[in-house]
Amino acid sequence: MLRIEHLTKTYGVKKAVDDLSLHIAPGEIYGFIGHNGAGKTTTIKSCCGILQFDAGEIYIDGISIKDNPIACKRHLAYIPDNPDLYEFMTGIQFLNFIADIFGVSAADRKERIYRYTDMLGLTDDLAQPISAYSHGMKQKLAIIAALIHEPKLIIMDEPFVGLDPKASHLLKELMRQICDAGGAIFFSTHVLEVAEKLCDKVAIIKGGKLIKSGTMEEVKGYTSLEDVFLELEDEQ
Amino acid sequence: MTKALFKKQMMESFAWVYRDRKTGKNRTGAGLVIYLLLYVVVFGMLGSMFYMMAESLCPPLIQMDLGWLYFAIMGLVSVVLGVFASVFNTAEALYRAKDNDLLLSMPIPIDRIIAARLSGVYALGLLYELFAMVPTLMVWFDSFEISAAGVVFSLLIPIVLSVFVLTLSCILGWVVSLISGKSKNKSFVTVILSLAFLGAYYAFYFNAYKILLEVLANAQSIATNVSGFWNPLYLMGLAAEGKVLPMISFTGMVIVLFAVVYFIINRSFLRITTANPGAAKVKYRKGTMKAGSADGALFRKELKRFAGSSTYMMNCGLGIIFMIVAAAALLLQRDVITEVALGMFEGHEDLLPLLAVAAVCMLTTMNDTTAPSISLEGKNLWLIKVLPISGWQVLKAKLKLHLLLTFVPATILVASVETIFCFDLLSSILIPAVAALYILLMGEIGLVLNLLMPNLNWTSEVAPVKQSAAVMITLFGGWAIVIAIGALYAALASFIKPALYMVIVCVVLLVPAVAVYLWLKYKGARIFASL
Repeated sequence: MLRIEHLTKTYGVKKAVDDLSLHIAPGEIYGFIGHNGAGKTTTIKSCCGILQFDAGEIYIDGISIKDNPIACKRHLAYIPDNPDLYEFMTGIQFLNFIADIFGVSAADRKERIYRYTDMLGLTDDLAQPISAYSHGMKQKLAIIAALIHEPKLIIMDEPFVGLDPKASHLLKELMRQICDAGGAIFFSTHVLEVAEKLCDKVAIIKGGKLIKSGTMEEVKGYTSLEDVFLELEDEQ
Repeated sequence: MTKALFKKQMMESFAWVYRDRKTGKNRTGAGLVIYLLLYVVVFGMLGSMFYMMAESLCPPLIQMDLGWLYFAIMGLVSVVLGVFASVFNTAEALYRAKDNDLLLSMPIPIDRIIAARLSGVYALGLLYELFAMVPTLMVWFDSFEISAAGVVFSLLIPIVLSVFVLTLSCILGWVVSLISGKSKNKSFVTVILSLAFLGAYYAFYFNAYKILLEVLANAQSIATNVSGFWNPLYLMGLAAEGKVLPMISFTGMVIVLFAVVYFIINRSFLRITTANPGAAKVKYRKGTMKAGSADGALFRKELKRFAGSSTYMMNCGLGIIFMIVAAAALLLQRDVITEVALGMFEGHEDLLPLLAVAAVCMLTTMNDTTAPSISLEGKNLWLIKVLPISGWQVLKAKLKLHLLLTFVPATILVASVETIFCFDLLSSILIPAVAALYILLMGEIGLVLNLLMPNLNWTSEVAPVKQSAAVMITLFGGWAIVIAIGALYAALASFIKPALYMVIVCVVLLVPAVAVYLWLKYKGARIFASL
C-alpha cells in the first residue's frame, strides 16, 4: 500500500531523511518511532505530498507520488500532529468541504459524518466555528475528516496527542477495524506502549536513517519496545 | 526580557521592509534600496496632497496672525489620519495576535507584553501621522519666521502627537474589541465600524475644499472658539509658535491621557484577549447534506475566508463599497454630474467614455483579494497540499473570488455610468469590456505577486494583508497602469479617436491577461505546489 524506496530529503546541508526504505502492506498498522528531529515528520510529509523530496520514490497503491500526486492523495488521508484547520469554518462546513473535495456523495457523507461524530462525541459541536474548538476537538475533527472518503492508507503524525482517553481508545479500535478491512496505517508516535500494543510492524529511525524495522516480534524479541529503542539509541 | 520583546515586535512589524518573503532571508543591497524607494514614492504621493492643503492654509492664517490655528488644523488632520490608519491594527495586534497565548504563558508581566505590542501600533500610527505632519512642517518653516524654541517645539510636536494618536487608537481599538468580542459575527461588526470610520473620513475628504474655504472665511471666529487653555489644539498651536508653557501643558495633557488609557488597557487586556470568541453555543441539529464539486468547495472556502476576516474585507474589498456608493451617487446626482461633465468636456464629449472607464478601473483596483490570498493560507497550507486537488484549482478559486467580488459591483457602476451618460453603442460595449479585462488582469497580477512573494509565517493577519509587498504593488501598480494608459492617450490624442483607443486598450489588456492566466495555470501551479 505504501512503498518508500531510498527516500532522501535534505534541508540545506542537513540530511533530514537518508536513504530510507519501507514497505507497508494492506492490513498492517505500521508504527514509526524515533527521537525528536529523527526525520519522522519529514518522511510522513513526503509520503503525503506536502514536502518535495530530493531522491528516492514513494508509491501509494502502486502510484508514484512524484508522478501523480493527485491520484495518490485520493487514496490516502493525513492526520497531522497539530491540526491547524480552517478556523473561519464551522465543524460541519469543514467536513462538507473535505467531502466535496473527495467527491463523497450526499448519502455517504451523511452516514459517515454522523457515524464518526456520534462515536467521538462531536455531533453537538458541529455548528460551532472551529476557532472555538479545543485542541482535542480539532484533533477529533481532523480524524473524522480523514475518514470521510474511506481512504486505503492513513498516515498519522502523533495522532493520540490531545485526545481524551475515550477518544484515544476509540481511535485505536478504528485503526484496527480499518486495517482488518484491508486498509493500511502508517503512524508516528512517542508512546511506545501504544505502538507495542497496536502495531503489526514497527520502524525505528535515527538521524534520518532507518536503524531497525520488522514485525513487532522481530524488533523487540522478548524484551519491551522501550528497552529496544533505548538500547538502539545508546548503540548509535 | 523587555528588550527581547521589543525586538520581536519590531521584527514582526517591519519584516515587510527587510525580509524577502520568498526566501525568508533578510534583504540586502539593491533589494532593500528598491523597497525603501517604493515606500518613499508612496510617502511622496500622499504627502503632496497634504502639502497642497498646508500651502492653502498657512500663508493666509499667518497673515491674520493665526499661525497657531494652522498648526492646530494640520495637527488635527494628522491625528485623524494616524488614528484611522492604526485603529483596527490596534485591535488586531493587541488583542488578536496569534502569539498572545504563548507570551501570556511565559513569565512576562502583562504590561510588558502590552508595551511591546503598542510599540508596533505606535510605529504605524507615527508613519501615517507623518504623511501629514512632514508637509505641515515644511510649509510652516517656509512661511513663518520662527524662533529657535519654535523650531524645537515644532519638531517635538509630531512626536507628542504620535503618542496622542496611539492613545486614541487604543481607546477605539479597545471599543472595537469589546463590541466584536460580544458579537457572534465579529468580522461583520468590525467591518461596519470600519465603514463608519471610513464614511466619516471621506465625508471630510470630499468636503475638504469647502471646509478649507469656510475655515479661512471664519478664521477669527473659529480661533475665538478654539482658543482656551483647556483645548489641546490651541496649546499645540501656541507651542509650535515657540511658547514654552503651552508646550509643557500640551505634552502633559497627552502623557496623562495616555497613562489613563494604558492603565485601563492593562486592567482589561487579559479579559479581552482570553474571551471565548463568538456568542452563545449553538447546538448542531442533524439534517440533510448536499454534495458539491471540488471547485465549488474551494470557491466557498475562499468566500468564507474573505467574509471571516474584517482585516481582509476592509483592506482588500473596499472597492465593493466604493463602487456601489459611486453608482448610487451617480444616479442620485445625475443632473449635477452630467451638467458638470458635459460642461467640462464641451466639444470633446467623445472623451467621456474613456474617462468613465478609467474611473471605474481605478475603483476596481481597490479590490485586491488575490494579492494576500496565498499568504493567508498560513499554517493551513498543509490542508490544501494533502488534498487531491491541483495547485491550479486552488489558484483558480482565489481568482474566481476576486472576479465575483469585483465584477458584480463594477457591473452596477458601469450600468449607472451608462444610464446617466447614454453613450453610443460602441462605447457602451467597450467600457464594460475594458473594465472586465482590467479586473481579470489585476486579479491575476495579485496572484502572481503573492506566489512570488508569499508570507506564510505570520502571527497576525495584518502582516500579509496590510504589510505585504504584493498588496502594495498590486494596488499602486494597478493605479499606475490606469494612469499610464490615460497618459498614453493624452500623447496620442491627435492621432487616434477615443473609441479606437479603447479597442486597442482591450487588446493590450487581453494579451497579458491570457499570458498571465497561462503562466498561473502551469508555472504558477508548480510554484504553489512547491511552497
